[in-house]
Amino acid sequence: MLELTELQHDALVEIFNMGVGNAASAMSSIVNEEVTMSVPTITFQSRAEAASILGNKESRRICGISQHYQGAFNTDAILMFPEEKSLEIVRLMVGDSVSMEELTEMEQEAMSEIGNIILNACVGILANIFNHELEGSLPSYLVGSSSEILGAEEKNSQDTVLMLHIDFALESHQIHGYVAFLLDMTAMQDLQQHIDQYLSGLT
Amino acid sequence: MNQATPFNLCNRVLHAVNVGTVVLDDNCNIVIWNQWMERNSSILAQDAMGKKLIDLFPELNTDRLQNAIQSALTSRLPSLLSQTLNKSPFPLFATPKDARDGQRMQQAIQVIPITAHNAPCHCLIQVTDVSMAVNRETILRQQAVELRSKTYADGLTGIPNRRHFDEHAENVLRLAKRNCTPLSLIMIDIDFFKHFNDRYGHLTGDQCLIDIAQAIWKIPGRPLDLVARWGGEEFIALLPDTPLEGAKKIAEDMLAAVNKLGISHSMSLTADHVSISLGVATCVSAKRANHLNDIVRVADMALYEAKKSGRMRVACRTIDLDAAN
Repeated sequence: MLELTELQHDALVEIFNMGVGNAASAMSSIVNEEVTMSVPTITFQSRAEAASILGNKESRRICGISQHYQGAFNTDAILMFPEEKSLEIVRLMVGDSVSMEELTEMEQEAMSEIGNIILNACVGILANIFNHELEGSLPSYLVGSSSEILGAEEKNSQDTVLMLHIDFALESHQIHGYVAFLLDMTAMQDLQQHIDQYLSGLT
Repeated sequence: MNQATPFNLCNRVLHAVNVGTVVLDDNCNIVIWNQWMERNSSILAQDAMGKKLIDLFPELNTDRLQNAIQSALTSRLPSLLSQTLNKSPFPLFATPKDARDGQRMQQAIQVIPITAHNAPCHCLIQVTDVSMAVNRETILRQQAVELRSKTYADGLTGIPNRRHFDEHAENVLRLAKRNCTPLSLIMIDIDFFKHFNDRYGHLTGDQCLIDIAQAIWKIPGRPLDLVARWGGEEFIALLPDTPLEGAKKIAEDMLAAVNKLGISHSMSLTADHVSISLGVATCVSAKRANHLNDIVRVADMALYEAKKSGRMRVACRTIDLDAAN
């Protein structure tokens, strides 16, 4: 598992904060209301550990928006919120009063757009500082347990996940979510190499 | 017989697909405009080719779509623009009738980078008609609203109850803040209602409440207006996007409607029939109103004024929270 020094951790946190800051301003202009987002911490964990952070209870349903990226490193990036929080986010963004038990088709699409904005912002800033392209797929919407979404029960459950903790605030609502970058061994090495290059350029 | 070349075939497929397909080159000039786009935008490919999207549709100069195109062309990242968060960006119309009525097609848009070896990046914009899904959800929502309204009605008078009002008010206040529009509220109280109950009995009192509720609740007619029973002999009306003059007119119409009922009230010190007093509060710009209670309080003060100056009348107050802060 990649161990980051305090300096490396802080540098990456700062980068991702710039990324989600861009996403927040894009979302503010959609809803014409202040949206703020920040990344307080990042961690490298195994898929199984990451899944357990999101909810040990199997019954807890997680809503995820996933996009595949390739280039500088290959990864599946997944924005995740507990399902009830995703309902809250979409309804706050849309300003709709009628709430159903689950996200409707149109709301799922809206949630996919929100995920698309956040994920592209995080990946875009990485591509930018690594000075290397990352091409992406369109988002897909997933619902399930955290293990299902992260693929933590499969044979690669010990693969690394780069987890971003994201605080999202809209109209006095505070919502906590995660962005996970699923990395296999090669991707992990590529990422580490890019981080090292970037950090050595800083000092 | 000649075989279709792959290029010709691709071209024909492109024009046959039932999805709007536009391709921009690295300078944002249109290089592909398929027949679906021709059909629904009434702009022919020959008129679109070589032009920029914003030259064809100046209104598209919004951040979201432009950013999505930029991010496809420069960062090669695809974007999704949902119908829910971006209401019908392109002026597309499914039928000539829709075009006449200004009824735009509901759209989901995907902006995708197209990279080819040794060629500059292009950008594919795909427009899908999601009107059917939107209509289906609208019906679903209407049914949910209808079901819910059964728990939102006041048991006696049948008009919206306090719970309905509170939930509705929260949304209305948010919209007013978001759009910086005025918000008006009317508090309505039946004059000498206790005397009425004492004189005619509670059953007649209940009937009086029903008659008055039915007389006033449809007076403000817009979809977001709401008249509810506040409690006891008090009613409340919430009027979004309504300046003071408009709210005062509605209050006066309510006053007249109740007078017209002509329910005898021999114990009233105001008139020989049941009458109401109304307090109107208008929040000029609701931007800083944190809570509806701020406005309810002012409407209460206006109602008190109306009562103090003889009842069966309307008193008004405005609040400018921006100025107050």
